[in-house]
Amino acid sequence: MSVAIQTTGLGKRYGSVWALRDCSVSVPRGHVSALVGPNGAGKTTLLKILAGLSAPSMGEAWVLGRVPGQTGEFLDSIGYLAQDVPLYKRLSTDDHLGLGAHLNRHWDASAARARLAALRIPADRPVATLSGGQRAQVGLSLALAKRPEVLLLDEPVAALDPLARREFLASLTEAAADGDLSVIVSSHLLHDLERVCDHLILLAASRTQLCGGIDDVLAAHRVLVGPRRDVADAGRGLTVIKATQTTRQTRLLVRLDGPVLDPSWAVTEVGLEDIVLAYMGEGSMLAASPLTAIGPAR
Amino acid sequence: MNALVWRLHRNQAYIAGAALAALGALLLITGITMTRDYHAFLASCAAARSCGHAGQLFAGDGAVTSLVNATMAVPLLCGLFRVAPLLAREFEDGTHNLAWTQGVTRIRWLNHTVLWPVLAAAGWGAAMAALVSWWRHPENAVGAPVRLATFTFDIQGIVPVAYAVFAVALGIAAGALFRRVLPAMAATFTVFTGLRFLIAEYARPHYLTPVSRSFPPFSDNAAPHGSLVLSNATLGPDGQDYTAGLGFQQVPAACRGNGQQAAGQLNSCLASHGFHTQILYQPASRFWAFQGIEAGIFIVLAAALVAVAYRMVLARDA
Repeated sequence: MSVAIQTTGLGKRYGSVWALRDCSVSVPRGHVSALVGPNGAGKTTLLKILAGLSAPSMGEAWVLGRVPGQTGEFLDSIGYLAQDVPLYKRLSTDDHLGLGAHLNRHWDASAARARLAALRIPADRPVATLSGGQRAQVGLSLALAKRPEVLLLDEPVAALDPLARREFLASLTEAAADGDLSVIVSSHLLHDLERVCDHLILLAASRTQLCGGIDDVLAAHRVLVGPRRDVADAGRGLTVIKATQTTRQTRLLVRLDGPVLDPSWAVTEVGLEDIVLAYMGEGSMLAASPLTAIGPAR
Repeated sequence: MNALVWRLHRNQAYIAGAALAALGALLLITGITMTRDYHAFLASCAAARSCGHAGQLFAGDGAVTSLVNATMAVPLLCGLFRVAPLLAREFEDGTHNLAWTQGVTRIRWLNHTVLWPVLAAAGWGAAMAALVSWWRHPENAVGAPVRLATFTFDIQGIVPVAYAVFAVALGIAAGALFRRVLPAMAATFTVFTGLRFLIAEYARPHYLTPVSRSFPPFSDNAAPHGSLVLSNATLGPDGQDYTAGLGFQQVPAACRGNGQQAAGQLNSCLASHGFHTQILYQPASRFWAFQGIEAGIFIVLAAALVAVAYRMVLARDA
């Protein structure tokens, strides 16, 4: 399986503040990956580095084997939709498509026009007069019209109402279905992306916490419930992500490194959202230490 | 790439073209009248074998003259409202993220974003300057107002082109630096007006060493017609300035006489004691040299600003 995106020890510093740190991810081609993390976790920074808009302070990034930068070859291979869908306000959808045709070597205007027509988005009105959902669709169409191999979407649905959100994600799924397009779409809510993604990158506290196929992530986490005991003691031999104590019970969310041997634990499966929240949440015990990829070695 | 620049700015290009056409029409009409008056005046001079106050010839064209003088503000307005927002708005709206992830490299995008406004400004400045220079040619011929003076110097010849290019470069650099429309506009306005004022007021009169001429003290001699007079002072033998006049005690004893002598006698006596009137001026013939020097200064500054803008845009993150 070839790799769409690979980063090793990637970091970005603004002044004395690290926006992204020790970020090592590997995303196989042809997948839709959710890039999830709380606000300020470094999602935008990572996407900007991958899009060649921003230079890393340390570490390395490869997109389809190329270092992101100012070459026509690289720029042709990516599609990028920035946060808040920046468009030239006074230009119409048609104008934007016309510009794209002038600025790109491979430009699929007819497919973009057909998509936008199917969504009944007016082609000749200034984009400033369109709704947020329509603008997001225009942005997606522009990014797709480049016929990129890697599509990077930065919080495309954050500002959309639930209906527009669903429509946008449906468009995205449709686009990802044909061909071997690799997509990375970020959101601070996993809930938005759970249905369209099959791969997860979790950033928290400026670091990668998880990177792997969603099925693998699910298979690797369990909740253990048992009689109350000292957490440090109970967690021996387990990677505890989150621990909650009541007067009578201890509940641990753990990442499995092997089978759970202690028979006093009741072991149950756990949903993806709970896993993500455990990594992101206040009680997370791992916020300061980065984790490596999960799942079978690739 | 050109299509992007044109599509984003074609409305402004239309407006600029229309404004230029309107001004052109007005200057053409009044300019033809002025030329006709001037030739009629020359003919009457020849008939009378003497010329009266040529300087008064065009005094009646106040409104049009004001308009022509107002063209001085054109480079500033162009830099302020068209060019300062050019880059700043891309950053403010985030559309640079869109532009920089298309199939053209950032440097190519920047080349076009900078090149076309500079060319447009230079072309526009040249057209305005040519119009105004032509319109003013009878005034220049009679030497009033003085062609080297502020206002008249600034709106004709080649300097308007340099000012326009400088204003554009300044707007681009300010946009690249501040990445916000209002700060970029404020910086463009402040730096442009400030620098233009300082150079016109303090640097321009000294581009070349002024011509110095001495006359007997308190005499009515003047610099040649059309010169830019920098100073006209009566100095004593010690170099002290007596332009306001001498007190009795300051007059050398030998010249005091009985206090009843004629002014002419006193002045020639003062002259023999080293008193003299000194005029410093820039002759009218230096007009093109001064135009070249001033245009050179602003073009060099513009080039430096464009270099700064390139550094800002290419080296910084999106």
